[in-house]
Amino acid sequence: MARISLNQTFLGTMFVVVSLFLSGCTSSANNRYWGKTVAPTDNVLRYISGSEPESLDPAFGTGQPEARVYMALYEGLLEYHPKTMEPIPAIAERWELSPDGTEYIFHLRKNAKFSNGDPITAKDFVYTFRRALSPELASRNANLGYYIKYSEAYNSGNMFVKDGDGQFLLAKDFVKETEKKASDTPEAEPETKTESAAANFGAATEFQTFINAPERLVVKGSEKERAKQLEADPKLKAAVEGKELVPVTAENLGVEAVDDYTLRLKLYQPAPYFVQLIPHQLFRVVHQPSIERFGKDWQRVGNIVGSGAFMLSVHRPYDELVVVKNPNYWDAPNVRLDAIEFYPLEESTTMMNLYKGGSIDSVYNHIVPPAWLDEIRQYKSEYQDHPEVANEYYSLSVKKPPMDNLKVRQALSLAIDRYALAQFRKTPKPLSNFTPDGIFPKYDEARRKVFGERLKAENISVEEWSKQRLFDPEKARRLMTEAGYPVVKAGNGWICPTFPVDKVTLNYNTAESNKAVAEFNQAQWKQNLGITIPLKNMEWKTFLPFRSGVQYEGIARNAWVGDYMDPFTFLNLFYSPQNDGATGWHDPKYDALLDAANKELDEQKRLEMLATAEFQVLQEQLVIPLVTQATNWIKKPYVKGLYPNPGTLHAWKFVYLETDPNKWDTNADNLMKESDPQVDEQIRRVMATMQK
Amino acid sequence: MLSYIIRRLIIIIPMALLVVTVTWILIRMAPGSFYSSEKKLPPAVEANIKKKYGLDKPVLQQYGILMGNIIRGDFGDSLKYEGQSVNEIIRRHFPYSATIGILAYLLALAIGLTAGIVAALKQNSAFDYGSMSLAMLGLSVPNFVLGPILVLIFSLWLFWLPPARWGGASSLILPVITLAAIYAAYIARLTRAGMLEVMRSDYIRTARAKGLSEWKVLLKHAVRGGLIPVVSFTGPALAALLAGAVVVEKVFAIPGLGNIFIQSIFNRDEPLTLGIVAFLSILIMVFNLLVDVSYAFLDPRIRYE
Repeated sequence: MARISLNQTFLGTMFVVVSLFLSGCTSSANNRYWGKTVAPTDNVLRYISGSEPESLDPAFGTGQPEARVYMALYEGLLEYHPKTMEPIPAIAERWELSPDGTEYIFHLRKNAKFSNGDPITAKDFVYTFRRALSPELASRNANLGYYIKYSEAYNSGNMFVKDGDGQFLLAKDFVKETEKKASDTPEAEPETKTESAAANFGAATEFQTFINAPERLVVKGSEKERAKQLEADPKLKAAVEGKELVPVTAENLGVEAVDDYTLRLKLYQPAPYFVQLIPHQLFRVVHQPSIERFGKDWQRVGNIVGSGAFMLSVHRPYDELVVVKNPNYWDAPNVRLDAIEFYPLEESTTMMNLYKGGSIDSVYNHIVPPAWLDEIRQYKSEYQDHPEVANEYYSLSVKKPPMDNLKVRQALSLAIDRYALAQFRKTPKPLSNFTPDGIFPKYDEARRKVFGERLKAENISVEEWSKQRLFDPEKARRLMTEAGYPVVKAGNGWICPTFPVDKVTLNYNTAESNKAVAEFNQAQWKQNLGITIPLKNMEWKTFLPFRSGVQYEGIARNAWVGDYMDPFTFLNLFYSPQNDGATGWHDPKYDALLDAANKELDEQKRLEMLATAEFQVLQEQLVIPLVTQATNWIKKPYVKGLYPNPGTLHAWKFVYLETDPNKWDTNADNLMKESDPQVDEQIRRVMATMQK
Repeated sequence: MLSYIIRRLIIIIPMALLVVTVTWILIRMAPGSFYSSEKKLPPAVEANIKKKYGLDKPVLQQYGILMGNIIRGDFGDSLKYEGQSVNEIIRRHFPYSATIGILAYLLALAIGLTAGIVAALKQNSAFDYGSMSLAMLGLSVPNFVLGPILVLIFSLWLFWLPPARWGGASSLILPVITLAAIYAAYIARLTRAGMLEVMRSDYIRTARAKGLSEWKVLLKHAVRGGLIPVVSFTGPALAALLAGAVVVEKVFAIPGLGNIFIQSIFNRDEPLTLGIVAFLSILIMVFNLLVDVSYAFLDPRIRYE
């Protein structure tokens, strides 16, 4: 027997080896599913979450791989909607915004518990917020909380100034000076409305009186920096001289537990989009007693106490992280999975192999390698490609010649055929604006209106204008010629002999896909303008300071994934002097427009102001927009409630595995439109408390 | 002999510290930092981070503190993986690399020695040409090609073995074969060359003239001498295998030290890089010492005084 089976094995192997060479890759094209797909037998989701999480502390880890795990282990006041990523109730049942837009009240549900059974109260959130913003924790995400009053001052270790009679100096008395302060943060806002005369929002407390009192003046905490700050401002120096300096403490932060189940946040200024940030990992509630008891070991299995629908059961770094259903979770009866196995992997081919072999149920976004796309796309029930809250663009060094010439920048942008680029990349969509298209529907509407008004003078419709911006080689050549670098016909192509190619390089961080795009665009410029721009690639961490310091000459590859669901997360990149757009461009008028927009309580008006700002970015051609990114991911057809939302971040409690093959997904393109009665009912139930 | 070994052992520590120092200088020269990312940090946040990790102190003082800790055997905490000490990470991930590495080397030895010896004994036979051609192929096919081909056949078509990840003996088969292939090929060629040289030497002729059986000549005299090139190769090869085979670890998603080492450099995770560099340099020096000592047992002509 043994010998026969051995022979069969050998023959089988030989057959396969031979067919490998004979038939190439026609393996499974006629199957309905890609690779091994069998109905799940246990209620466990096996998901690849990206690289190994840096930390299991939600206030500390900054990336998406971490966020995916945090969303299982921790819950915040609000959670991301599984389809739209808009905030929906979580530990808070509902929330209110004060009429002046600077105060939020969150009403917590009374049955929320930590994984060890301790109740979750507003005090836990106060601890969570204070901890996240403390200078000692040194969270890299801390600035996401800077809209909360005195949070930046606290996080920076700054000081209040108290004069002899116990009164604190106020910021408004030093408005001109504070404006000069090189800061992009709301703290520098002079016109903050902090009149306590306005009616109280929610219960009146001593803390509310303090936090609503006119904003106190803060000066730098470190002596060296303070000396510099005072030196630059004689009036401030005179006022501070001899006064007592009082450190800004956690207790000064605009976060208050009004009672056990009411949390109040005070912002510096109206910021209607701030609620979009509340589901962010930075604000997910953590358990004070266990953190204090175990110190740096609090995140270990056995010590860790979470607040999410799942709790940690196994953590083998670089191998797997298993979470199991948390019986103490307030909504436990509606958590569908028994467990999730997260596998931290980075190699996309390895992930695809695991997926094809049936060892995993889903991967995170951007995983299907370009070479596999044509095959995998046919599997409509598994492959999905939805727009993301992310773009890709080239930053331009607008302060250095020849990029200081607007026409050169415009010409380079117009000479790229974005339709062809998108087709070449296979998954993304061509982008002529800066903020991704199709992600913020209301903003798209506002943008159409504002751009339309602005373009009336030029007698062109928005659609036509956008279309031309995607590719217009004629105009590109004209502009380049007008810029002083004539493009002339030579044979079948074009040449532009005077363009200083020695002063322009296309820089990108080393990655196969970046290289492919760079070469594509290089060819476009050569073909349409007759300019050959040299390419240069660099290791990621080397590239970062090179780009952000605008040390590059010409062009640098850039991309941005939104932190929250609001166009401001993109437009903020040109808010000076942070210079996240890495162009070196700075315009106080642009900053003022964004400030004004964020204070605007009327949503429509606000979006129109943001659109006006974006129009300026586009007109000045600070960057060359390339594409709106797309999810490009796969999941097995039996995984339900896992949606290709704009950030590919999933609220795990809505996810379930369908054992009946008749109910499996048949066309993933329709996932966002189709209703899944089970998930929809669950979402409806969660959102019902909002109407109270 | 003993004093030679002690002398070699003593020198390991200062050598390792020197290697660490040079590595530290190189890391500090590289642009970028462990906390730099797509998003530029506000100055206050950056200052908090620098303070927390002692990066606000003068560079020489930082070096002093670092060396002081290292001499006590404490490499500190990883900068990337919050709250995990470097020693813990090495302790946790070294066994994965070591398991794969040792198994692969044993497999490579078994295949390589057999093929090499047989090929040498039957020089110019069909077996000789066949095995040496296969060895040539093994040497020229990189493991990032061999690995995926094996996965394609055994995991995705036949569904016999898992395509990746750690877990059970079956998950070891493909990575071990992938890793062993190149070493088996190298060992086979080394063994064959070594054996051919030895078989022609005078002492083998003497052994035969004494009337020893061909087996005894082979096992007692020829193999000992013929293996010397293989032993010299084993030192660095085994050290490299134990340290982790980056490509194989990546292809098969094995949580070994090799991949973590490479990642630590990309992450600018200074303590982790330094810890692994120190660990590997000690490992390599110890293996080289072992190799040098074993010469004395294999070749009676070599003596250490």
